[in-house]
Amino acid sequence: MARLSLVPKDREFFNLFDEAGTNILQSAQLLDQLMRKWPDAGGLGREILICEQEGDRITHDIIHRLNSTSVTPIDREDIFALASALDDIVDFTEEAADFMGLYNIEAPMEQALQLTGVLEDACRNIAQALNRLKGFQELNHYFVEVNRLENEGDRITREALASLFRGGIDPMVVIKWKDIFDRLEEAIDACEHVANILEGIVVKHT
Amino acid sequence: MAFTVTQGAALHLLSVESAPGSVPAITGDATPSAGPAAARLAIIDSDSGFVRVLSKRIGAVGWRAQVLGSPPPPEELRAMRQHAIVIDVAMLGAEAWSYLGRICAISPSQAVVVCTGPTSVAQRVRGLRLGADDWVTKPCHPEEVLARVEAALRARQAGASVAEPPEPVVAGELEIRPDMFEAFVGGRALGLTRREFELIQLLSASAGRVIPRERIYERVWGYAMAHGDRSVDVFVRKLRKKLEAASPGWRYLHTHFGVGYRFDAQEAGDDPGEEPGDERESAQGSASLP
Repeated sequence: MARLSLVPKDREFFNLFDEAGTNILQSAQLLDQLMRKWPDAGGLGREILICEQEGDRITHDIIHRLNSTSVTPIDREDIFALASALDDIVDFTEEAADFMGLYNIEAPMEQALQLTGVLEDACRNIAQALNRLKGFQELNHYFVEVNRLENEGDRITREALASLFRGGIDPMVVIKWKDIFDRLEEAIDACEHVANILEGIVVKHT
Repeated sequence: MAFTVTQGAALHLLSVESAPGSVPAITGDATPSAGPAAARLAIIDSDSGFVRVLSKRIGAVGWRAQVLGSPPPPEELRAMRQHAIVIDVAMLGAEAWSYLGRICAISPSQAVVVCTGPTSVAQRVRGLRLGADDWVTKPCHPEEVLARVEAALRARQAGASVAEPPEPVVAGELEIRPDMFEAFVGGRALGLTRREFELIQLLSASAGRVIPRERIYERVWGYAMAHGDRSVDVFVRKLRKKLEAASPGWRYLHTHFGVGYRFDAQEAGDDPGEEPGDERESAQGSASLP
């Protein structure tokens, strides 16, 4: 049975987290498109940067609200951790996109396309979980799926790195792509971190 | 015939100072006077003492050396794009002749200097006829090895400068002009980048034959292709776009799924499998490598 609270709680946090979920999904979708269209990605890099700024804005709003609210619907430390972890996803996503341009990448790598696909799927699951966070019910399958996707991301990254370290490959290609693969993996790891925080929140409220 | 060289007892480094009287000491500026300003050498030799002294000398003259303790596959060696290879064929045993022949054939632009222990005249002649540029017998001074590499590089430079540029290739409405690094349709330049030109030049030089992606990458980019790299597909797409804009009635580049690409000028409609602007193998449309 849900606990009855006598103190009114600020439900606006849920709306902000829902907004953050939509934002991470949008940034991951844009990165996937950018990777598939590269080097003809047009203004997609700029759109991802706007998502990153929007992520900062949402994080700031959540923390500002946290500091000005006496009673929160979720533990304060959980709100703070969740906001930070969601911001990390967009930050790493934006970094990966930025590196494509900065490093003057000529063409995408197959494994990078797979990783952006995994990242998009993980973000979709998180966005859906955040959308239903208010009820704290039936969220477990999202967390299980994000964990599975993170394992998939690890496998692809390992294979990608192994393919870079075969003999005879241009060292510049190795340096550039290792950096990009690292960022993509960090973005997917950040998704798992969000899923773990959410799982903890759900356990506390059920 | 297996290659046999008695190597164990020989001193592989000969100090110039240790041979008084017979050979004048090297004096003056010993810096290589010709060849690339910063030549890159691959040293394939398991004699660590010789390699250490030679590498030190190479470094002192501003060249770069990559030491390989064991012989890499010839394709990998070519992909390293070294200017010259110094190799001790004795370490290859029975494979010596076939390996030497393969590296000379597969990398005609790289100078190959054999530096090994005492051998017979017949063996040295065989090695040179297989394509080696020079043969140095150990024990030898690193300065001499360097001078011979330098001479081989100089000879190649001289050969390259007098060589005629390849003839233009005409196919369909397209004229590929190697002397101008450009392709033309009806006298109008396509505006190819260097890489696009090298790609069409490579494909057109083997017109009618399918060239695997990995081979294209090795030849145009000069390195081995990482698994999953879509560079060849992306550049073929760019090239197709320019060709289709300039010569819409013709198809020049044909995809062989899972393998690579073929250059063949065909009038549009002759090739039902390939529609104009077909980019099925481009990064844009594909989810996985065929």
